[in-house]
Amino acid sequence: MKEYSIVGKHVPRNDARAKATGSALYTDDMKLPGMLHGRLLRSPLAHARIVRIDTSRAESLPGVRCVITGEDTPKVKYGNWRLFPDTQDEYPLAVDKVRFIGDEVAAVAAVDLDTAEEALGLIEVEYEELPGVFDVDSAIREGAPVLHDYCPNNVSVNRKIQYGDIDKAFAESDYVREDVFTVHAVSPAYLEPCSAMAQSDLDGRITLWTSTQVPYIVQCLLASTLKMRENDIRVIKPYVGGGFGGKMELRAWEFCAAFMARKTGRPVKFTLSREEEFLAGRRRHAMKLYSKVGFKKDGTLTGKDLRIHLDGGAYNAMGPTATFLCGNFGAMLYRYPSYRFLGEHVYTNKPPASAMRGFGAPQSIFATETQMNIAAEELGIDPIEIRIKNAQVSGDEIPEVATVSSCGFIEALEKAAEMSGWKEKRKSLKDGRGIGIGCYSFISGGVFNWFNTQYPFSAAEVRVFGDGTAHLLTMAADIGQGCDTVLKQILCEELGLKMEDIRITSADTATTPQADLGAWGSRLTLMNGNAIVEAARKIKAQLFGTVSAKYNLNVIYDMECKNGRVYPANKPDRGMSFAEAVAMTQKANRGEPLVAFGYYTPRGKGLVTPAFSFGAQVAEVEVDKQTGIVEVKKFWTAHDCGTVVNPKAVEGQLEGAIQMGLGYTLSEQFIMDGGKTLNTHFLDYKMPNAMDMPPSEVAHIDTYEPEGPMGAKEAGEGLAIPTAPAIAEAVFHATGYRCRDLPITPEKILNGMEELPQAKSKPAARK
Amino acid sequence: MMRLSHFDFLAPATIEEAVGLLQSKGADARLMAGGTDLLMKIKLGAIKPGFIISLKKIGGLDQISFDPTTGLTIGATALLADVADHPDILKHYPTVAQAARGTANVQVRNMGTVIGNLCNASPASDNAPTLLAMEAVLHIAGPEGKRKLPLDQFFKGPGMTALKPSEIVTAVGVPVLPPNAGTAYISLSARGKLDCTAVGAAVMVTMSGDVCKDIRLFVASCGPTPLRAVKAEEIIRGKQISDDLLAQAGSQASQESRPITDLRASGEYRTKMISVLTERVITEASKKARG
Repeated sequence: MKEYSIVGKHVPRNDARAKATGSALYTDDMKLPGMLHGRLLRSPLAHARIVRIDTSRAESLPGVRCVITGEDTPKVKYGNWRLFPDTQDEYPLAVDKVRFIGDEVAAVAAVDLDTAEEALGLIEVEYEELPGVFDVDSAIREGAPVLHDYCPNNVSVNRKIQYGDIDKAFAESDYVREDVFTVHAVSPAYLEPCSAMAQSDLDGRITLWTSTQVPYIVQCLLASTLKMRENDIRVIKPYVGGGFGGKMELRAWEFCAAFMARKTGRPVKFTLSREEEFLAGRRRHAMKLYSKVGFKKDGTLTGKDLRIHLDGGAYNAMGPTATFLCGNFGAMLYRYPSYRFLGEHVYTNKPPASAMRGFGAPQSIFATETQMNIAAEELGIDPIEIRIKNAQVSGDEIPEVATVSSCGFIEALEKAAEMSGWKEKRKSLKDGRGIGIGCYSFISGGVFNWFNTQYPFSAAEVRVFGDGTAHLLTMAADIGQGCDTVLKQILCEELGLKMEDIRITSADTATTPQADLGAWGSRLTLMNGNAIVEAARKIKAQLFGTVSAKYNLNVIYDMECKNGRVYPANKPDRGMSFAEAVAMTQKANRGEPLVAFGYYTPRGKGLVTPAFSFGAQVAEVEVDKQTGIVEVKKFWTAHDCGTVVNPKAVEGQLEGAIQMGLGYTLSEQFIMDGGKTLNTHFLDYKMPNAMDMPPSEVAHIDTYEPEGPMGAKEAGEGLAIPTAPAIAEAVFHATGYRCRDLPITPEKILNGMEELPQAKSKPAARK
Repeated sequence: MMRLSHFDFLAPATIEEAVGLLQSKGADARLMAGGTDLLMKIKLGAIKPGFIISLKKIGGLDQISFDPTTGLTIGATALLADVADHPDILKHYPTVAQAARGTANVQVRNMGTVIGNLCNASPASDNAPTLLAMEAVLHIAGPEGKRKLPLDQFFKGPGMTALKPSEIVTAVGVPVLPPNAGTAYISLSARGKLDCTAVGAAVMVTMSGDVCKDIRLFVASCGPTPLRAVKAEEIIRGKQISDDLLAQAGSQASQESRPITDLRASGEYRTKMISVLTERVITEASKKARG
């Protein structure tokens, strides 16, 4: 690996001190003079026509300043997929109909929260209840209740991919395997519930502070729903306590805060409760996956036919992207000579599913990896060997889907096997213990421009000063993942400065350069990193000119910016400090500030992503065969994220991913009664906590991604993918029970073990 | 929305004063020790008391004491955390400490109390089954003076107890365990190590060699109150404990309980687990009894 000065080093995060001391200000910490408190009235019914809303009693409650319903608003639909306006299916507040329990119907702003809460109870809504659909199979049936008039079959989006001759491939296979998998919805469960505060100035311009991953998208969609100009809206992202995909759209409370601030002339703040987040917040898509895969006797893949129904809930949200990605990732990791995919996004009367860490890939890859494990078992090949045989490698291309420029997958598989003692443990673990593997690949930002932005995908402005410092301005949103730190590191590396020399201003749509699509799809390190490198190189070109002129250097000399100095690479003495170089450059330009912009929009890399990450994870479990309770004893992860910019940040991502993966696999689920969510608090939404975290070992596989800044690519979301298939395989190895429907509950394990052929002939072993 | 409704907060200095306040405020008042259950109920809007009467200012009520002849006494405001770490409890009643340590999380244990956990009368209480198995007795003060009530006559249903109006549980007493007695408590839940109980079992066995002289077996979260598995006890009592007998007792305990399906487990899973846990607690307790 190339040695860098700051990239690749354990640099402490910018925000560590503020968060550890509690001085970090989140949206809900903020108060403005005269601020009103907002609350939302939500639908108690899963599907109903709104006959009448009477807000008069609420309005006359002392302390209430504003009550609005959908009828008071401009009634403009919105959605992130602006490129296809049909998919924009949501109103900020319900118009005519509600489609899930929790759908926003009205909003109140009052002098305090108690008054706002009391006013909600005074709003009278008369509903005409309609029949609902709560699962994809019922929703696509002929004659099923229709959620949206524009979409009579409830399938709002479909995506097809096809290459190779799939029928021929199956005909020529020695072994063809068909399975149906179901995966469930889970909550992003970010620590900071959504919060937004809006202020309207005397000219009617809006400033919105909001807990979001996508300041630019919120700015644009707020403008369209308010019928205002984009530039009259300023969105500022304060500290954000996690998003995981759940905060990447315009949401009702952001609209209501802005709309009501304009209407009342007073600032308005909304903060959701945890119960609201669980009841109505975005979720990971539940899916039903039909997968057929063919092999030669020796384990060589011949093809795959994948059909997926995504349970989208009541609105599209980021479902279209999830539909695309689960198709793309159905064909990743291994070389499928032929592939056919049909993904359909289905409306149901449940809280909308949306982006969540992995965005379709965890579901799709759970099916891929479990089926790979089944095939290995049935073909009598070691699960890691069959993977190595079929693994993608650097240089692989899938038409329109993937250009794999860097790929450390095989090395990751070999390393995971070595670290975990795989070969020995597959043979010799005692009864009730098991070891299993799961792998992943993920995108480093998306290419497909569904938001239809006219701006570059990422942008950076770099200002340098005669005191040797620099100011980085970027719209990139640090939501806890640490991009403020990582992006500063990249700028430091390029300019040869120290972390303390850089001031960063980020995620403010009025002061940082247009634009940025947001913090999702693991895009910031690569995309913003590239924009920063470009801006920094423009600065450097000017500084190099200044130094060259001063020392009358030969124009062919290579120049460097390192350790706070600017100089010719092989004549370091003929240089000057960074500060001096900046000052001299300014003087040469009549004092003009030294500023440069950089941009990045991916080109020539297909429609999916400029770069893919890869990795393999091994899990060892112990299953109590009488209770069905699974304890994960240890994880071993080997991953390829290209150049590791900040090792501690990457390890943090891995720990978080394991925690989320554990919950997804073993304990987290929404318990639904039709459209009603029964577990709306952490007591019964079983998220693993610190005590449940098993020990874990990690290896960074050394690769260099040519498209990434300094060779870097994604490390955020991909790691959330392998845990479910790894644990499922380990449970199979321990018990013989093969999970095809997440989560793996103790009850499923016990029932599964009872159904095994040997369970029927032998009495169950005593503890 | 998780917000507390308005109430007046009263902090009497004596039990008598507290009883008097309960009498004067009637049904509009609630007693509070740690408040970890009570405040949640208020926040969720389940109750809206006009008055909260805190027991925390009453001197001596947080005492934990052990006497070799009369046994253990845990005061009404003694914290779960204190019970979990108390040297005498760890030495003489390790299962009482274990149940306290297994209750909720460290923040709740630093606020909540064992007595509060009992008075909340949740079928999923971690502290009730073990104390029931050890024949615990409640000390109660009320308008008519003091009385004692065996814990196994206390629970009447979810959230319902045998307390009369204006009565306060001031302490729980646990007798000295019989010689050669062993106790055990196991609970299961969906989340690994820190969770409310989905199903549990507690037992005290008194052994004479390999023969079980006496047994008290309770299952948790499998009925409206912790349930005593009387017929399962009969299978074991007076017998030499064997795998076969354990299996019989386990399946009998399952038959005696009437678990429901709820958010935390299905009735079917609970039924199966009662058998497994019954076998396990009896095995563990008898092992401990034989030293």
